[in-house]
Amino acid sequence: MESIMPDMQPMNQTVQETPQFRVLTEDQIEQIYFAALDVLERVGSRVHQDEALELFRSSNEAVVSDDKRVRVPASLVERALKTYPRKITLQGRNGKRSVALQKDHVYFGTGSDLPFTYDRKTGERRRTTYKDVVNAARIVDALPNFDFFMSHGIVGDAPNPQTYDRHQFMAMLEGCTKPMVVTSVDGEGLEDLWKMACLFQGGEEEFRLSPMFVAYIEPISPLTNDHSAVEKLLFAAEKGIPAMYTPCPSSGATAPATIAGMLVQSLAETLLAAVMCYLKNPGMPLIMGGVTTVMDMRTTTYSYGAPELSLASAANTDISKWLNLLMFSTGGCSDSKWLDEQAAVESTLSLLTAYLSGANLVHDVGYIDSGVNASLESLVMNDEIIGMVRQVGKGIRTDDEGLALKVINEVGPGGEFVTHDHTYAHWRDWFFPKLMDRSDWETWNSEGCKTMSDRVNEETQRLLDTYEPQPIDEATRKGLKEIIDAAEKRHSK
Amino acid sequence: MAVDFGKMADLLIAGKVEDVSNMTQEAIDEGMDPQEVLQNGLIAGMDVVGQRFKACEMFIPEVLRSAKAMSAGMDKLRPLLSESQAKAAGTMVIGTVKGDLHDIGKNLVAMMFEGAGFKVVNLGIDLETQVFVDAVKEHKPDLLGMSALLTTTMPRMGEVVNALKEAGIRDQVKIMVGGAPVTGEFAEEIGADIYGANAASSVDKGREAVGK
Repeated sequence: MESIMPDMQPMNQTVQETPQFRVLTEDQIEQIYFAALDVLERVGSRVHQDEALELFRSSNEAVVSDDKRVRVPASLVERALKTYPRKITLQGRNGKRSVALQKDHVYFGTGSDLPFTYDRKTGERRRTTYKDVVNAARIVDALPNFDFFMSHGIVGDAPNPQTYDRHQFMAMLEGCTKPMVVTSVDGEGLEDLWKMACLFQGGEEEFRLSPMFVAYIEPISPLTNDHSAVEKLLFAAEKGIPAMYTPCPSSGATAPATIAGMLVQSLAETLLAAVMCYLKNPGMPLIMGGVTTVMDMRTTTYSYGAPELSLASAANTDISKWLNLLMFSTGGCSDSKWLDEQAAVESTLSLLTAYLSGANLVHDVGYIDSGVNASLESLVMNDEIIGMVRQVGKGIRTDDEGLALKVINEVGPGGEFVTHDHTYAHWRDWFFPKLMDRSDWETWNSEGCKTMSDRVNEETQRLLDTYEPQPIDEATRKGLKEIIDAAEKRHSK
Repeated sequence: MAVDFGKMADLLIAGKVEDVSNMTQEAIDEGMDPQEVLQNGLIAGMDVVGQRFKACEMFIPEVLRSAKAMSAGMDKLRPLLSESQAKAAGTMVIGTVKGDLHDIGKNLVAMMFEGAGFKVVNLGIDLETQVFVDAVKEHKPDLLGMSALLTTTMPRMGEVVNALKEAGIRDQVKIMVGGAPVTGEFAEEIGADIYGANAASSVDKGREAVGK
């Protein structure tokens, strides 16, 4: 549209189209980074895996002590950090390259492996099953604001705890076509999941170009790397499977009680993994992570609803951007035992903060009971919250169309905008609520006085009753089953 | 002059580890009855700590500081208590099962039990079943505590219970289990005696079960 006010053309102005949010200054990030380097030089990190210890030893730079403690000089860390990709595009089994991980692109998804679920029929708390994971997968596939899927629940009815991950991935694939983040028992488990994914992707090379999943792996804070975690990380490095090595420190218990101290320690944990992967296969797609929160000092709970989780996670994202690493962060979760007001408040705070921080993969959406209980209803509620949060992120256009001087001029004093073309063209830019009620009292009353909780429940049931994901074809299904059966056979002794 | 038990209890509540240790030594040097020092000084203080914790007037870091003070006092007293008196305070063996290196919860429980006057043998993490069996034989504890954070390692706790049965020593000890995925139902299934949902309730239930 032609400008009607040529004298208003701005010169050299900074136009801020999205809200700006930052927790740490560059100087603070550097302080934390140098402190983390110091931790790796002086304290080191313990590694319970022989191949990794050998990699460190043969680098001739890292120092490995008899107690399996690995110390790494800054020069090696800095060389490793230069090798990681700044972009990874994930592709779901639907063939869509829908998650383009790169700076300031934010995607939302679930968490994984929740041991308990409230049965929707009986209301009783019970162990999560295969069917629950399929249902969570279907709901995430159906909800527009979820971009990736983690299992939400754990398949508690799998035949063998040592092979449960293959069944869990199968349940995820049954219900969901979107890209995924997967957990696995050990290196062998990850290998099977990767083989399963390659059946959809058309082989190893294709998987590397458009991976279907990211492997979720975690160290144990403080500064401990257990055998299976390292095994998984090294396998991911070898095959070029994207992986996040995400510390889960609880401030005041397994990390310092100051947020900066927790960030220093968890960064040291991340940097050790960055060096380990570099020594194995430089340039493998490593993603930085961190569920950085406090231990509640009354209950000893690892808190998923604390404001410190949001603050520390946003700071961690600032650090990741400075390091040119992609970031796996946390939001949409709660300590509440039930999907109630507390869950809504806590979920909203962490989602908004994570979104504004620009973290790439925001996970754990839908967790209740501090990462112990699954809730399909929470997924449905959070989808609405993410919609609202994304709307805030759109920011404000201040070009001619946005300033609407022409429109104001046309309507003039005492007029109306409802019927104007400009309104017709732009009202759809707004967030359109599905679950939030904005009706008048009379309408609300005559429609049964439904609360948010009622509406969330109805929508959850509607999705469960009606939504069918794109099915898996028979040939692929057969291939998947072969991999799972072979794993069962190997572990049946 | 006799040592002031009220002051000793207050120091313990305030978490003054060294002061409590020194005062316990003073009481011993003055020839006071160790059992009386334990009951009227240390345990009296810890009882108040327990009440204040339940009333949200004290929090974990403060409780653990008091527990440390209690434990420092106990270290002085233990050699002087008669065998039956020392036994009365209780012994616990605790550890994290094979495959699991997560131990913050288990360590919290251990510290809280020390605060309750127990002698705690903390075996560590990633422990083979036999290590638990040997420790029960060696230390003859009132309580055996086990933890697991991972659902994949949880079944190991059942294996330990079975191994104790096979060794014929299952009934000598009360078994307590805990960890995020563990439930009361699971504890019952594997034949454990007590399910500890958190550090504080573990101590309550543990003391009740062994009558201390």
